Amino acid sequence: MTASAFQHTHSSSYARLEAEQLTLKHGKTTIIERLNVTLPEGQVTAIVGPNGCGKSTLLNGLSRVHAPSSGVVLLNGKDIHSLPSKEVARRLALLPQDTLAPDGITIEELIRFGRHPHQSALKQWAMNDQDAIDYALKAADLIGLKDRLLDTLSGGQRQRAWIAMSIAQETPLLLLDEPTSALDLGHQIEVFELIRTLSKQGKTLAMVVHDLPSACRYSDHIIAMKSGEILTQGSPKDIMTKELVRELYGVDCDLIPDPMTGSPILINIQRVRG
Amino acid sequence: MIPNRLFMPNATQETVPPNGYKLLTLGHKVRILIEKKAVVRNIWLVLILLLSCVMTLGIGTMMISPKEVIAVVFGHGSPMSQFIVQDLRLPRLLAAVFTGAAFSLAGCLMQTMARNRLATPGIIGIDNAAMAFAVSSVVGMGLSIAPSAMALAGAATATALAFGLAGGSGTRGYRFIVAGIGIGAIAGAVTQLLLSQVSIDVANSAYPWTVGSLSARDPFMVHILGAGVAVCLVACLVFASQFALLPFSDQVITGLGANIKYIRIIALVLCITLTGLAVSVAGPVGLVALVGPEIARVLARYRGIPLVSSALTGALVMVIADLVGRTILSPIELPVGIVTAVVGGPYLIWILIKRSSRSSL
Repeated sequence: MTASAFQHTHSSSYARLEAEQLTLKHGKTTIIERLNVTLPEGQVTAIVGPNGCGKSTLLNGLSRVHAPSSGVVLLNGKDIHSLPSKEVARRLALLPQDTLAPDGITIEELIRFGRHPHQSALKQWAMNDQDAIDYALKAADLIGLKDRLLDTLSGGQRQRAWIAMSIAQETPLLLLDEPTSALDLGHQIEVFELIRTLSKQGKTLAMVVHDLPSACRYSDHIIAMKSGEILTQGSPKDIMTKELVRELYGVDCDLIPDPMTGSPILINIQRVRG
Repeated sequence: MIPNRLFMPNATQETVPPNGYKLLTLGHKVRILIEKKAVVRNIWLVLILLLSCVMTLGIGTMMISPKEVIAVVFGHGSPMSQFIVQDLRLPRLLAAVFTGAAFSLAGCLMQTMARNRLATPGIIGIDNAAMAFAVSSVVGMGLSIAPSAMALAGAATATALAFGLAGGSGTRGYRFIVAGIGIGAIAGAVTQLLLSQVSIDVANSAYPWTVGSLSARDPFMVHILGAGVAVCLVACLVFASQFALLPFSDQVITGLGANIKYIRIIALVLCITLTGLAVSVAGPVGLVALVGPEIARVLARYRGIPLVSSALTGALVMVIADLVGRTILSPIELPVGIVTAVVGGPYLIWILIKRSSRSSL
């Protein structure tokens, strides 16, 4: 039984997520029109762009939370809306911005909810459920905190707990919507380093990020969006230019490579004048 | 891809349930988790409920000792006490137990769905609409359908309207509650209007529907309600793992592979059924839906969604409220709806004042 379970986990690690001619609307307002995008497998993709450019909408579209008006999102070549939702949830985990949690829930209980797609009304608990939860606790460095209440934790710890829940989901794909937006610098680094660790283990990740330098530092691939369109995409070193920053955010800056990591750093940032 | 974790092949290893749970296995396929604390809590509540039932059966103009009550329940006892207990007090007690359980369970479901402890069926107008429909049937302005069926229709109509007016924001947020309050006010006014248009005798016969009373119950409806409560409780257990997701945001629920619309529709159908049936027996005793789940949540220390406990606490509150109503001004009987309003009103205010508590529900 364990051998076949391993096989299963292994084969479902194939994780190709792409959008074809994807159109997403909020009511009657078109946010994204006829967009084509593919998440590079096994890499960390950062989706960046100014407020209202449609990056969160795109992430919600890719994670089947936002149904397309036209076009299609393909998970391993199949229309994501035609697949059973539980089957999708065994391949793709989502950490949304809006994460309400039940009152009085402990870290371990929260992580246990990550096993939901692997369970059913009659099969509520199996041996590999606890294995997955223990693994998630360890990966997110939360073992000592597992019995603490979620709302007594710091912002960074809480965000790590949510990521741990998606780790317990054991999906090859993980999408994160602004995972660091409400965190201070130290907690941001905590979360970004966890994301890098997950990437090293073979997960395909995509995240919406506000902070451009962090996006450059912690991602392999950047998708730069403006007004619902992809301006450019590629590795941070290749695509990050003064012109792109100016086009995206309307600011002038200079770019220098980080002496330690080589990733681009923005300096001398100022509003475009004239 | 590097495997996420190492499996340790060990065929003899027992599957260990999470802390505080018991794993119920049946063959290879069925593995059900049972929360130990919830089971203990519910056993205590059943015992207390049984105790108050025995008391209720004994207390009245004609006092009967608990020993005699138990004898009657098991088919012994004097003919006099048999008549009083079985024919007079038991039907009323069953009505109290079932309506209390129904209102409270419906309240717990609705509060969880709306993530707001004020969102009980009574407050969002379901009770009043069921009452208005039932009264319209009694005064002969309905579609010549039995008042009980009209109550159900009223409950469903109010929910559909509240949904429609909430405009796609679902059961979350204040739009749903505000729309429901409006519908409840209109339904209350319609009831008054109907009563003012008919002769005093007809209005009198419709009166029990408007205050919430167990004295005018229809024995047939009590049985239907009992069956309804049983079915809905079983449904709550079957869908427990789905309902447990309700406090999360919609996106998290979808991300975990559950269908939020489907869960919500099931919960709403249960709410409407329970509230409609309960109103058709006792009229609007809506405050039980507020008080019952709150007691259950306190007992559960604000962990999980205490559906079964809510049904039990609701039944308990109703039984005690009816006992108080029957005895406090004896021989005058106070309708149970008035007792729950006298106790529940201040309680509602206390909740609003104590809003600073950590719990969002």
